[in-house]
Amino acid sequence: MKRSLQSSMWFFSQAKDITNLDRFILLFLSIAGIFSIFDLAEWWFRAEHILNFPLFVLLSTFFWYGFLRTVLIWINYLRIKKPQNVPKPEKGLSVAVFITSAPGEPISMFEKSLYALQRVEYPHNTYLLDSTEDPEFEKLAKKYGATYLNLVNLSGAKAGKVNKALELTNEEFILILDPDHIAFPNFFSQTLGFFKDPKVGFVQVSQGYYNQYRSFIAAGAAEQTYTFYGPTQMGMYGYGSSVAIGANCTFRRKALESIGGHAVALAEDLVTSMRIHAAGWKSVYNPVIVNRGLVPEDFHSFAKQQLKWSRGVFEILFVELPKLIKKFTFWQKLSYSAIAFYYLTGTMTLFFILIPLLYFFTGTLPANMDFSEFLVKGSSFALIALIIYLYVQKFLCHTKSERRFHWRGMILKFALWPVYFLGFVLSLLNHKIPYIPTAKKAVIGSVSPFIRPLIWYNILFVLSVIIVFIDRRYFVPESELLFSSTRTWGMLGFAFIIFLQSWGGIYAAWEAVNLKEENPWDSVDIDKISGIEEKK
Amino acid sequence: MKSKSLKRFLIIAGALIIGLLLVFILSIAGSESKGPIQSTLDGIANKVLDLENQYIFQKRSKKRKQKLKVFSSFKNDINALKHPKIILLGASDQIEKESFEAIINLEDSLRTTFPLIHIYNAWGSKPTEQFPTLAVETIIKLGSTPVITWEPWLDDFNEEDYPGIPKPAKRKKGCLKAIADGTYDKYIFEWAKDLAKIKLPIFIRWAHEMNDPYRYPWGPQNNKYEDFTNAWKHIRDVFRYAGANNAIWIWAPHPAYGHLDDYYPGEKLVDYIGIGVLNFGIATTWSKWWTFDQLFGKSYEKVDSFSKPVMITEFGSLNVGGDRSQWFSDAMQSIAFEYPAIKAVMFFHQNADKTITDKEVSWYFIEDKKSKEAIIRQLKSWPDSLKLENLKHNIKK
Repeated sequence: MKRSLQSSMWFFSQAKDITNLDRFILLFLSIAGIFSIFDLAEWWFRAEHILNFPLFVLLSTFFWYGFLRTVLIWINYLRIKKPQNVPKPEKGLSVAVFITSAPGEPISMFEKSLYALQRVEYPHNTYLLDSTEDPEFEKLAKKYGATYLNLVNLSGAKAGKVNKALELTNEEFILILDPDHIAFPNFFSQTLGFFKDPKVGFVQVSQGYYNQYRSFIAAGAAEQTYTFYGPTQMGMYGYGSSVAIGANCTFRRKALESIGGHAVALAEDLVTSMRIHAAGWKSVYNPVIVNRGLVPEDFHSFAKQQLKWSRGVFEILFVELPKLIKKFTFWQKLSYSAIAFYYLTGTMTLFFILIPLLYFFTGTLPANMDFSEFLVKGSSFALIALIIYLYVQKFLCHTKSERRFHWRGMILKFALWPVYFLGFVLSLLNHKIPYIPTAKKAVIGSVSPFIRPLIWYNILFVLSVIIVFIDRRYFVPESELLFSSTRTWGMLGFAFIIFLQSWGGIYAAWEAVNLKEENPWDSVDIDKISGIEEKK
Repeated sequence: MKSKSLKRFLIIAGALIIGLLLVFILSIAGSESKGPIQSTLDGIANKVLDLENQYIFQKRSKKRKQKLKVFSSFKNDINALKHPKIILLGASDQIEKESFEAIINLEDSLRTTFPLIHIYNAWGSKPTEQFPTLAVETIIKLGSTPVITWEPWLDDFNEEDYPGIPKPAKRKKGCLKAIADGTYDKYIFEWAKDLAKIKLPIFIRWAHEMNDPYRYPWGPQNNKYEDFTNAWKHIRDVFRYAGANNAIWIWAPHPAYGHLDDYYPGEKLVDYIGIGVLNFGIATTWSKWWTFDQLFGKSYEKVDSFSKPVMITEFGSLNVGGDRSQWFSDAMQSIAFEYPAIKAVMFFHQNADKTITDKEVSWYFIEDKKSKEAIIRQLKSWPDSLKLENLKHNIKK
């Protein structure tokens, strides 16, 4: 990553405001997209396309589920909203910052976060919620004027500590900050003012990262979040359903208390925000970058984080959503359901990559569609989807570093199918996984077991190529060769795309194995962080 | 208040119009003739097929084509095919859609190799109802010449592509007139263009047994005589317009229902006369065990009067009510010695035929050793001048 980009990341930045023209353009693009889907649907569901009925049903379900998600996200974009003006916070509010430390987390990282919190302008009390029992952490808290809370042996991991700290403190507003996140001086001037409205339960800001330059994984993992923290959450805010995800959410104590404290779950923030909404509170999403933290840098850390999230989000689907759904508004129901189903992507990917293998090894095909006809029929839809995707990039929080085609993120989303699929299976079996904070430092020098399915797939692909060649060279009768030609080579082409994507994932994992050991926070100069936008 | 809602209404209407316009533009770019994506994909597909042909197909040591070497120059010569001196053998067997193995097994068991392979193709909008390029190319690769029975069923045409056509149930009445009037020209033209791309000669038997009032919608129950001849002429015109000069036209009346002169499109528009000779034995109420001569002999004189080569387009016997091996034996003998106009015979080797009877009947004789032996014996006894092996002596230099 370019040095200049690196330095511009430490300036305050915000997403562009939406204009009426933007809304109009998104509206007609969405209309065009929806009509092009009708056209595709008319073609897709022809009886002559069905070869294997159960497989065709499965294929159609996954495919049209994907289209439905795309349409939902377009509808979401139609109400992209940014708070009109950020109200200045009243003077004298009592504000707490909770920052948690767990065994194994590097102390040098806390030096930076705590120092940065000292520079945050609005008066606040910082609490270090510690479960390491390491005297060094106590000394550290003292050094940066934070209150040390010794909170060992509590159940419920991070949320357990937060709830205990809520009992021990009395500030009206609480920011829960992840320890890797470095807050900008103007953090509270971008959040606290919104609480003037007594119905606002929490204020969420964007989540920036600063270690993207470290590896392919880090860059891809960050890319996966850009659109979400920009246009997606802005749209959800427009529909009154923005969510707290990750760190940096500022809560009203009353809101937390009204739901019996911070939720204890794998996707704790998401559950907490859903419960707060269900209790009738409003929320604000402010698309500004007033803090930056870390993304996983190596494959295994990333996979573990994603497993935790997918398992946690499926838990929402199976447990939380059915309980709360009646209390939500229509749009909240829709967005939360969309989020709850998000990690089905791994199961879908698995199904799609099995199609060519099933054909090569058993000769079974779900559908009798001409692949090139499908591409032609789907091209209008794909084109409109691409235009909308690129158009809403206007609303990213830091366009300078984020606006580009997020192909690394896409490759990682594909390559992690074993992880997401495992999350789904574990949820079906109701198998719990422990809450572990995401690794702050790269795990260097070993290969993640989650990479194995990708390698197996590649072996199967090479085997398929050999089998197809030998079969067609020596065994398929000449009177049948031509009939299956386009189908077979088309399938092989499809499998080849998957093969390349798998290699993308394997490359990412391999690249991270050779990472140079380095603490990304060492090079951050806290004194240079600016709460004012960078001059163009 | 009012002006605000008017403004909103205008915005939505504007967005709707622009959105629809966009879809319209995109769909025009996509479907009229071929869009850039389709052409690119087709280009890739053709390249892959070429590579497969070069590195997989051509590397094979045993090819059926070699057995038909003697036929190889003949099948490229449309005039030679229109006036053969020998008897061309062929067969149809559609037990599997994407394979000709059944026909190859049959010819192997008859110790011959068929220069003709016969397939059926119905009219309509479905992909399977377009010109069967893959099947035709395969037949040619196998060294044979394709014979296509092309049946003008109209039920499957969709109303989007053919605006104003009646509902499927109402298309039967006057179907041939509708064809002659050009209603289905789009389909015929595309089909003809695809046929023209093949370049090599292809036999077409269109709307066969048009004088039979019971079996097919294109029969006299729905159409006048001149509707048939007009439709025939019209199709020939569309083919000429599409540049499809490689078709050999088989006019195929049913010998039992007469009116041959009424249905004859004309000396210049017909290349072959096709006659189906199938013995149903006692499988149906209306049939008896009839020999080849009983089925065909009476009409031979009339058929021969058109001075065209004759093709027995569907040749076979069921196994109920008589001795099938004897039937084949007699028939093959008659074909060679009694009816000199017969220049092609195609075995009707279908195992699940229900076009006439309500229950499926099987014309398969591949398991019937006696019939096969009879056919092999007869083929051997045919005069050399009628055999494929002696084809080269017959081509006029």
